[in-house]
Amino acid sequence: MKRFTLVAGALAILAVSLVSCRKEPLDMVNPNSRICKSYLQQFETVWQGMDQGYVFWDKDTVDWDERYEKFRPVFEAFDARPANNPVTQSEYWEAYTGLFEGLLDHHLTGRFYTAKGIPRGACEAWVSPGQNDYYHPTGISYERSLQLDILQKKAIPGTYLESDPFSYAPLDFPGSYFCLIKGKNEGELIAYFRFTNFYIMQLYAYHSALPNSYTAQAPIKAFYGPRYNEGITAGAGYANNDSVVGLIIDLRGNGGGSVADLEPIIGSLAQSDTRVGYTRVKEGFGRLDYSAWSESIVKCPSLHLNKEKPIVVLADVTSVSCAELATMLIKSLPNGVFIGERTYGAVGGLYSGGSTNVYHDLFYGGCFGDYDYFDNGPDPYSDIFSYYVYTSTFHMVDKDFNDVEGVGVKPDIEIKYNRKRLESGYDDQLDRAIRYIRVGH
Amino acid sequence: MNKIKQCLSAIPIVRAVILCVLIAATTTVAAQEDGDSAAAPRTRHFSVGIMAGLDRNYHIVNMSYMADMKYDKFRTGTAFGIRLGYSPWKWLSFNLGAVLLQKNYHMDHVFQYYRLYYSLPTTTTNEYINVPLEMKLSVGRTVKIHAFGGIYGGYWLKSHRKGVTYSFSNDREYTFDDDVEFNDKRDNRIDKGFTWGAGLSGKIKDRVEVGAEVRWYYGVDDIQKPYMRNLNPRYNTTITFQAVVAYWL
Repeated sequence: MKRFTLVAGALAILAVSLVSCRKEPLDMVNPNSRICKSYLQQFETVWQGMDQGYVFWDKDTVDWDERYEKFRPVFEAFDARPANNPVTQSEYWEAYTGLFEGLLDHHLTGRFYTAKGIPRGACEAWVSPGQNDYYHPTGISYERSLQLDILQKKAIPGTYLESDPFSYAPLDFPGSYFCLIKGKNEGELIAYFRFTNFYIMQLYAYHSALPNSYTAQAPIKAFYGPRYNEGITAGAGYANNDSVVGLIIDLRGNGGGSVADLEPIIGSLAQSDTRVGYTRVKEGFGRLDYSAWSESIVKCPSLHLNKEKPIVVLADVTSVSCAELATMLIKSLPNGVFIGERTYGAVGGLYSGGSTNVYHDLFYGGCFGDYDYFDNGPDPYSDIFSYYVYTSTFHMVDKDFNDVEGVGVKPDIEIKYNRKRLESGYDDQLDRAIRYIRVGH
Repeated sequence: MNKIKQCLSAIPIVRAVILCVLIAATTTVAAQEDGDSAAAPRTRHFSVGIMAGLDRNYHIVNMSYMADMKYDKFRTGTAFGIRLGYSPWKWLSFNLGAVLLQKNYHMDHVFQYYRLYYSLPTTTTNEYINVPLEMKLSVGRTVKIHAFGGIYGGYWLKSHRKGVTYSFSNDREYTFDDDVEFNDKRDNRIDKGFTWGAGLSGKIKDRVEVGAEVRWYYGVDDIQKPYMRNLNPRYNTTITFQAVVAYWL
């Protein structure tokens, strides 16, 4: 027994001594709620926030640790600058632009403010690395006006309508557009719908002027906006009328919005629920700590297209975010085809907003920082180094697990944007869509 | 600088080896003091055994401000394996085993979003093979009491997770039940550490011995590779409760 006691004692010492063989956990700071009082603190917080909450680390080619080594000394040096040699606007902007350069997330936008520096004692940097990608040389509103001018000439007289559920909305968004275009044969019609954003459900819900804003009628009103006052039957009739042999859904210039619009508006084009792709969120501090993939299903509402008809979605690089999801959905339908050019490539789902940016602390990923500052600008009397990083909360892939972030959705039939042709009165993308429905290919 | 780091990282191993030598020396002296019967060579030196039972894994991870993600302290799994023993004396033996065991953990992500309450649990089942090499010391005649300690190496064979996650475009919960594909950049599939424990056994036939033991597997390897600068370590400590049947050759 004496021997056993000795042995047991020795083993106990061994056991206790091994406890220190492990690495200590790191001290983590919540990047969503940190008050920064220096350049370095702001940099460290922003770097950590991206390190922990950015959802594309398994796809991104940027070496984030290398960026830390490179830019930490830059921000440290900013703090060390004497009062008579403050950091300039361009230095500050260059530092953050360099930090974020080349990151994959096409939603990514950072806004940073320093309480010191010049001009006027404070400088600010906005960075959007994705915007350095492919873009059209003209503005979206100019493109839209050219396209709508051409559309009006193609519309059957008296059918062109500008839906304006937004005319009395607090947001200055254009609305949706509708017209009927002649089909191939006498009496055949093509129904054309254009949505320039996906805030439709939100605005209906917001407006007390519209009764039953969240009832089953609301989706129908939204989708068939131009004729919502004619009721469900008449509105749905445009798409379900036997004379209508095909639909064109134009999402060019659609900057996205809320996924709440997908089910009532785009989901109603399908015959059943449609799988658009898969999403996942971060689930821990590690860059590669992810949740399981979850299916993104867009439900088919009870009132939907009553039979399969050719549906063409028109989209291009000005189609962003939710508009890209809608494009993916229509493209995945057996009767759907995508004509145009690649979309922008910002498909990661994103939750942002609220005074405390609550979404970050629900999902521990995506947007972080001071949303009030992002939305309303800096407080010039504060000595806080404000920041807000607007980035995807969800990593999204298409239904075949292909990554579309930064790549965009690719068209089935590519017709490139052509400004000269538009200015000459030809919308080649729309013409190809009409031809597709008339000819069948 | 690197040499210093290497020396420092080797300290736990050096310490373990020194302690093992001390244990051996102490027990040898103790055995000699204990008289002739315990230190006497035994007639049968080799044994084979099988082990089966349950385990409880403690997954150590620091969630810091991610307070809504809660890991269970312990998660139950199964453990079974074989063991070869060499016993130069009745009081001392050396064992080499191969054990298939589970190092499972469970995380529940609970939050409220608008008026909806979400509970998103994930149970991760991890299959490992561990190969312990240990020294075992025994006292007693009819019923023996054992204490043992040593090292183990292992390999992470398989990972599977089941649970509920949040579906973005649906604002709904989504149930999953998938094998986890190992990520070469992230997952450290090599497992090593220390093992120790205690048990009881008794002979039921001339060559057959049955017993029960409780054993700790204390992993010293982070289950993640050092793929990022600010890596928060994750470790497994597993306790097995096993029945053992040994046959003396």
